[in-house]
Amino acid sequence: MTALLETRGVWQRFGGLVANSDVSISVGRGEIVGLIGPNGAGKSTLFNLIAGVLPPTQGSIWFDGEDVTKMPAAERCQRGVGRTFQVVKSFETMTVIDNVIVGALVRNTVMRVARRKAYEVLEFTGLAARADVLASDLVPAEKRRLEVARALATEPKLLLLDEVLTGLTPTEAQTGVALVRKVRDAGITVLMVEHVMEIVMPLVDRAIVLDLGKVLVEGKPTEVVRDPKVISAYLGDRHAVGA
Amino acid sequence: MDKNFAVRRRRDLIIAAVLAGLAALAPLFIKDVYVQNILILTLMYAAMSQSWNILSGYCGQISLGHALYFGIGAYTTELLFTKFGVLPWFGMLAGGVIAALIAMGLGYPFFRLRGHYFVIATIVIAEIGLLLFQNWEWAGAAMGITIQVRGDSWLKFQFMRSKLPYFYFALVLCSLAWFVTWWLEDSKWGFWWRAVKDNPEAAESLGVVVFNSKMGAAAVSAFLVAIGGAYYAQFLAYIDPESVMGFQFSLLMALPAVLGGIGTLWGPVLGAAILIPMTELTRSYIGGSGRGVDLIVYGGLIVAISLALPQGLVSLFSRSKAKGASR
Repeated sequence: MTALLETRGVWQRFGGLVANSDVSISVGRGEIVGLIGPNGAGKSTLFNLIAGVLPPTQGSIWFDGEDVTKMPAAERCQRGVGRTFQVVKSFETMTVIDNVIVGALVRNTVMRVARRKAYEVLEFTGLAARADVLASDLVPAEKRRLEVARALATEPKLLLLDEVLTGLTPTEAQTGVALVRKVRDAGITVLMVEHVMEIVMPLVDRAIVLDLGKVLVEGKPTEVVRDPKVISAYLGDRHAVGA
Repeated sequence: MDKNFAVRRRRDLIIAAVLAGLAALAPLFIKDVYVQNILILTLMYAAMSQSWNILSGYCGQISLGHALYFGIGAYTTELLFTKFGVLPWFGMLAGGVIAALIAMGLGYPFFRLRGHYFVIATIVIAEIGLLLFQNWEWAGAAMGITIQVRGDSWLKFQFMRSKLPYFYFALVLCSLAWFVTWWLEDSKWGFWWRAVKDNPEAAESLGVVVFNSKMGAAAVSAFLVAIGGAYYAQFLAYIDPESVMGFQFSLLMALPAVLGGIGTLWGPVLGAAILIPMTELTRSYIGGSGRGVDLIVYGGLIVAISLALPQGLVSLFSRSKAKGASR
């Protein structure tokens, strides 16, 4: 079976800056894949290319057997790509349930059905008690959760999580990890960008390490963390000696 | 939760029906033509502001050029009537359709602009429209068009003696604009618009086609405003560019909504109910001195309300509700 998501030789240049060079990755159905790398590695750029915020300078992106390279974000969402934002982008003047309804409307045009679907997603993500609160009144951890809820309401095949666990307290992060597992168990493939290695590594099936816009290493998390190239990318060459 | 929501929507509908019913009875007790005139204008501006609120309040695309659509409604109706003998009822619909098409034509380039740039574009375009009509000989140029009123006729929608038909049509228009808003508020479009206003990028990621949402809002908004313009032209029985397309109309559509609560269901009605009588009363009681004291008082009141209730007058009513929600 073909991979759910595939990037083929993707390049992204911003003027003279090369953010992604010749990136080819694939994500199989049902996997949780971590996209990691130091600051400025090109993770967010690649993430945005996959979500359809902008088209790559070169190369192609395939989703569910279809070339989506030129497809705008809204259409990709309709095909089954859901995403969250690193800097949360809640609909601040709307209530939590209304935020989620916007997502649910992609697949359900009848309001009553969309509302019920949104409520189910809130229960799934543990936000049901906050349904009628304005999004602007949520605490940061809840806002992250709302991002996930909204994306889940679009019933995605692939969920892109952009640093949803970063900046949370250890307890909050643990609940986040549990939620991601639950999402995968519901049959949704997950590609997550993360910074904090120790939280992501036990969670993901496979890790892809980006450095300086290129794929540095790819493999099982336990192997990846021991790889000298990864250690040197994160900590500098000195620490890689003897690894 | 689900039930609360349904209850609230039904309650809104009942309140609206009661208010419309009371308004319909008002002429039985209010015989004074001056007061009737104020009521007519209040209802009309409530309707206009409600329509403006769809694009600018719900969808967040602030327009200060809606006078253009108002004028297009007025001119389409009167040109069709005086030049071709088309009844105003059809002219009204034609005006609405033309205004909606123009709104979408303008939206095509301008919805790519954001924030202040979009506002500036709307002002400029409306001014260009005004200048075009001031120089368009066939449409009467700056002299305008006089509609000959030959007796009372529902067919031609013109009345010599009584203001009541105009009052009732304004009431219907206001109820229509309110109902359309009420209906759209709990629809896919309503949700899309609010999402686009709050965060277009997030909306796009959730499958909302931002550009189309704005186009839809613009079309509905312009259509309703043009119907209002057509009505106003019939009411005045005389139009010229300045009196149906002047910048003051753009402001008078925006102000009630802003004052009452922008992007809310009740804001425009509430705002108009305060603002329009206030305009008229300050003008007739302290105006006329030529020193503009009325405008100073009027402006001062607007500033005072905005400072005291930055969320609009509706926040007076929703305060208790907000408390209940956070409990």
